[in-house]
Amino acid sequence: MRLKELAERLDWDLKTRNVPAENEVKTGYASDLLSDVLANSIEGDLWVTRQSHLNIVAIAVMRDLSGILLVNGVEPDPDTVEKAVEKMVPIFQTRLPTFEVVGRLYQLGISGER
Amino acid sequence: MHILDIAQNSLSAGSTRVEIRIREEVKADLLVIEVADNGRGICGRMLNRVTDPFVTSRTTREVGLGLPLLKEAAERCEGNLEVHSEEGRGTKVVARFQLDHFDRAPLGNIEETLSVLIGGNPEVDFIYEHWVDEQEYRLDTREMRQVLGPVKLDDPFVLDFLRQDIRGGLKKIGAARFHKIMEVLR
Repeated sequence: MRLKELAERLDWDLKTRNVPAENEVKTGYASDLLSDVLANSIEGDLWVTRQSHLNIVAIAVMRDLSGILLVNGVEPDPDTVEKAVEKMVPIFQTRLPTFEVVGRLYQLGISGER
Repeated sequence: MHILDIAQNSLSAGSTRVEIRIREEVKADLLVIEVADNGRGICGRMLNRVTDPFVTSRTTREVGLGLPLLKEAAERCEGNLEVHSEEGRGTKVVARFQLDHFDRAPLGNIEETLSVLIGGNPEVDFIYEHWVDEQEYRLDTREMRQVLGPVKLDDPFVLDFLRQDIRGGLKKIGAARFHKIMEVLR
């Protein structure tokens, strides 16, 4: 499913204005430990996290992730948004906690298989 | 966040002087955060246990989760935590981190942390020193009091000035940046 469509169906807010979210998403990874994401994410993953600082953009760029979903209504830091827009990394926000949103993603066919 | 917690421990221990030192050594890829106070200190028996979350949160109120969490954060980033203390003399907490470790949380909003500490405790002496290699930013509320005369440190205008001074000063020395990680984002 396209990232944009997931966002619509699950009612996420796009935090990075004008960053397109047209890419197809098949897999996801959920973790708040950046070194873990660096080691275990795969290209194209949608990353579910509650970390909001600038380094998440660096990780997404390095691992070629399709986007970042912030859980629990966490707001990204202003410099995070700025850099994500520049690097075209879409950042979404949901009010749901990780467990809940990952369950819904799984139901929509997004898997965590490595 | 951590700094505020640890400094608050110092204040609960009745300190009249709190020294916060941050050293970013870019070449050595090292970040050292030090909080030293002249509070009542921690007795030897307790000192061995201050980083155990179960013992500390249950037996005292003055030392909460601040130290165990800081220890965990430092160790996760290839660093460590040392706590030195002498009863009646004071306590010194030294946390070391790998500066450019991905799991190291940013230093956060230092000007906010300091203005909360100083504004909430205008009678306490705060000394803040921040180095990035050889460059230094320094703030000493004892010097500020002399300049301010009758104006108190918790005056909103003073705190506002303070925040701006810290923000500008830290920017000038290139503080609180992720040096290598930022290269990825260039």
